[in-house]
Amino acid sequence: MTEKQYDVVVVGSGIAGAVLAKVLTQAGKEVLMLEAGLTAGMALKPEEDYENYQSYLQRFYETTIKATNTPYPEIKDAPSISVLEIQPQTPYETGYMVQLGPLPFGSDCLRAPGGTTLHWLGNVPRMLPNDFQMKTLYDQGVDWPICYDDLMRYYEMAENEIGVAGDVDSQQGPDMSRSNYGPDYVFPMDKIPQSYQDQVWIKSTNGLDVSLYGKTYTVNCISMPQGRNSTPNNDYRYADTVWDPASQSLNLITTDKNYEVVGATWNSYTGERCEGNASCVPICPVQAKYNALKTLKKADESKLDIITKAVASRVLIEPGGTDVAGIMYKAYTDPDSIEYTPHIAKGKIYVLACSAIENAKLLLASNVANSSDQVGRNLMDHLVLLTWGLLPEKGYPYRGPGCTTYIPTFRDGEFRKDFAAWISPIDNWGWSWPTFAPGSDVTNAVINNAMFGKDLRSHLNADVPRQTLLHFECEQAPCADNRITISEKYKDHLDNYRPVIEYDASDYMRKSFKAAKHVSDQIFAANNIEDHTIYSPTEADYVTWDGQGYTFRGAGHIVGTHRMGSSASESVVDKNQRTWDHQNLYLVGCGNMPTLGTSNPTLTMTAMTYQAAESILKQLESNN
Amino acid sequence: MTNSTEHFDTFLAISAWLTGYEPVELQGTGMVQTYYSTLRENITAIDLDAFFAESDFILAKAQTDVDAAKVRTASHLMQNSSFNSLGKQIILMWYIGQWFADPSGDPNNSVQINAQSYVEALMWPTADTHPPGAKEPGFGSWAVKPVSVDTFNVTL
Ligand SMILES: Cc1cc2nc3c(=O)[nH]c(=O)nc-3n(C[C@H](O)[C@H](O)[C@H](O)COP(=O)(O)OP(=O)(O)OC[C@H]3O[C@@H](n4cnc5c(N)ncnc54)[C@H](O)[C@@H]3O)c2cc1C
Ligand code: SF4
Repeated sequence: MTEKQYDVVVVGSGIAGAVLAKVLTQAGKEVLMLEAGLTAGMALKPEEDYENYQSYLQRFYETTIKATNTPYPEIKDAPSISVLEIQPQTPYETGYMVQLGPLPFGSDCLRAPGGTTLHWLGNVPRMLPNDFQMKTLYDQGVDWPICYDDLMRYYEMAENEIGVAGDVDSQQGPDMSRSNYGPDYVFPMDKIPQSYQDQVWIKSTNGLDVSLYGKTYTVNCISMPQGRNSTPNNDYRYADTVWDPASQSLNLITTDKNYEVVGATWNSYTGERCEGNASCVPICPVQAKYNALKTLKKADESKLDIITKAVASRVLIEPGGTDVAGIMYKAYTDPDSIEYTPHIAKGKIYVLACSAIENAKLLLASNVANSSDQVGRNLMDHLVLLTWGLLPEKGYPYRGPGCTTYIPTFRDGEFRKDFAAWISPIDNWGWSWPTFAPGSDVTNAVINNAMFGKDLRSHLNADVPRQTLLHFECEQAPCADNRITISEKYKDHLDNYRPVIEYDASDYMRKSFKAAKHVSDQIFAANNIEDHTIYSPTEADYVTWDGQGYTFRGAGHIVGTHRMGSSASESVVDKNQRTWDHQNLYLVGCGNMPTLGTSNPTLTMTAMTYQAAESILKQLESNN
Repeated sequence: MTNSTEHFDTFLAISAWLTGYEPVELQGTGMVQTYYSTLRENITAIDLDAFFAESDFILAKAQTDVDAAKVRTASHLMQNSSFNSLGKQIILMWYIGQWFADPSGDPNNSVQINAQSYVEALMWPTADTHPPGAKEPGFGSWAVKPVSVDTFNVTL
């Protein structure tokens, strides 16, 4: 069955897909969006949107074991990866992902309207200029085909769209200063206030000298730019990104008016400020945190058709040619039934925006865009080493957004030749990540130590507010063997492929765990933090280096499975994010990133998506 | 056979004794009735009768000799053998909002009682905070000490 021909068919309604839908429809193009998730989540009518979102919140409250995907519907016809499926021993095939090992891949994403931004944290630091030249500068990985300066204007578009709250002047660290942003640049909103706990940390950490392999590094603590609402910055003068047909470019247009805060999708007065719910992962009850549905709502509805419950299953190629002829999708009615009807979506240009894992799977299933044999390879994440302890005084964690301050000191340096760089967010949510605190503190006190009454209450009150947690989010270097493949053996409910993962942490990564723990020890000592960190051989992603064991965790930063490059033999897309093999097929999302850097990837990926949107518009107009 | 309100007062009083919260604080959560019903759904009437008889004894003792009541609680309510860990189940229910079927055997075997029991779990105020995703304290509140700390009636 064939249907209407659109200018562009976009698969996926996460931030990458939503930015495309908004920019392309506002430029007058007819767009069809295919989305695997349920219709209710699309949030188009305020009342139903509100009710649906409340059902997410209710599910979060009611569920015993709360994980990142908990609030959102589990659907068999478009399964999401869950962190709860991760097991220490590979190989296993019990979850949606088939994990061949040797280590399990520890991150998840969400298949629902709005995608993974529904449960992301929203930290949005930019990458550093040196991150784009890892091969040239440090003989690691590859260089990007573009440099930081090429992305500058698109970073500004992405920061406008996400609505970044932050302080440009405080973004100081290795390879990072005011010049990364330009002389007068400010973020749309003032920084999110740094937590009380951050201030406790800053006293003994800011300016601290730590030594590592004979070198001294001076640690600094700075505010984290983030996609959540605070007070508009009166100096910010950008309104929106608009296509200019005359210059054939996207431009951020200026305005006399102040930045308009974007509240909840169902009511713009809800969520105008972050209210400190402290549940950004997995759900912000008031949508003070950015999510992709906010962008999708700004698309020109008259130019946008959205088909939900539509799982893209194959990219079809013109017989005898290389152009994409359509996208075959399976439309289901009941999300848990094996019944579906096949359809073909047709457009002039096709864009896959299904996230790194699903994009790679779809390309492999269709046997397209893979003349380089790079599809599925170079799967990366930040490998997060956590260290935790008790502060000597109460820092009052479990309050505010997950992170308001970070340490940029080890984001760049000569050491990147030897071991991975990292960013260190200071975590505001106690030990909840590594130990499931404070529930585990209660069970430990009551079940193991038989505590009760006022002794129990005062014990918990004395200890839990002193819990503190530091992250070392280490930049995983690309490795061809860390990869996603597909196999006839492993299919899902709708007869689509399940992702099969091979994954490991190289010596380059393990060395950085050792270095990070050494730095952590010095920072903890300076703050009189009593170290309670435990890495147990029974945990998933426990590795050893130099006689010591370390456990790392996934960051949710799934990157690199269809990388961008400067030659068709070594990469899947070119610098415009068009596949080398098919002139009317673009890929967007973190899969395009050749290396990861130490920043959370979504801001950079969104900037790249603006660049892709510009290329698509140029291509459409040149064909007319 | 217990009727539906028998032992209710004892349940509230022993909950206060075991959690370290005042009865009025527990009532303020709105969860007393729900938790009492949870007990009645999960524990046989005979076991409940015995548990509450022991509770009455301890509560009476606490009026005159708190230390002796604590010793008695430790030996008669907090042992794994005491009423199949019912004392522990009650504390965990209040602090975490979950029913632990077998706390001393399989501590992972618990279920969320309902949405409200998540929101009202005592572990959050005990930790000088609020449940993530509910009772939001407002913009910038996290940049200063929690307001609850000043009014927190812990002369423990
Ligand atoms: C817990 C967590 C915290 C995070 N925190 C941060 C952070 O602080 N900062 C940061 O930068 N990044 C963060 N990330 C990463 C961030 O969420 C992702 O990089 C980003 O959301 C990816 O956007 P996307 O649009 O490419 O893909 P997604 O948001 O995953 O969207 C993909 C879309 O495609 C749809 N889809 C998938 N398959 C199909 C198909 N076959 N057919 C049709 N539709 C399909 C899905 O339903 C979904 O709507 C976090 C991730 C996690 C898991
Ligand atoms: S702290 Fe609360 S209000 Fe703020 S973004 Fe997170 S969940 Fe939303």
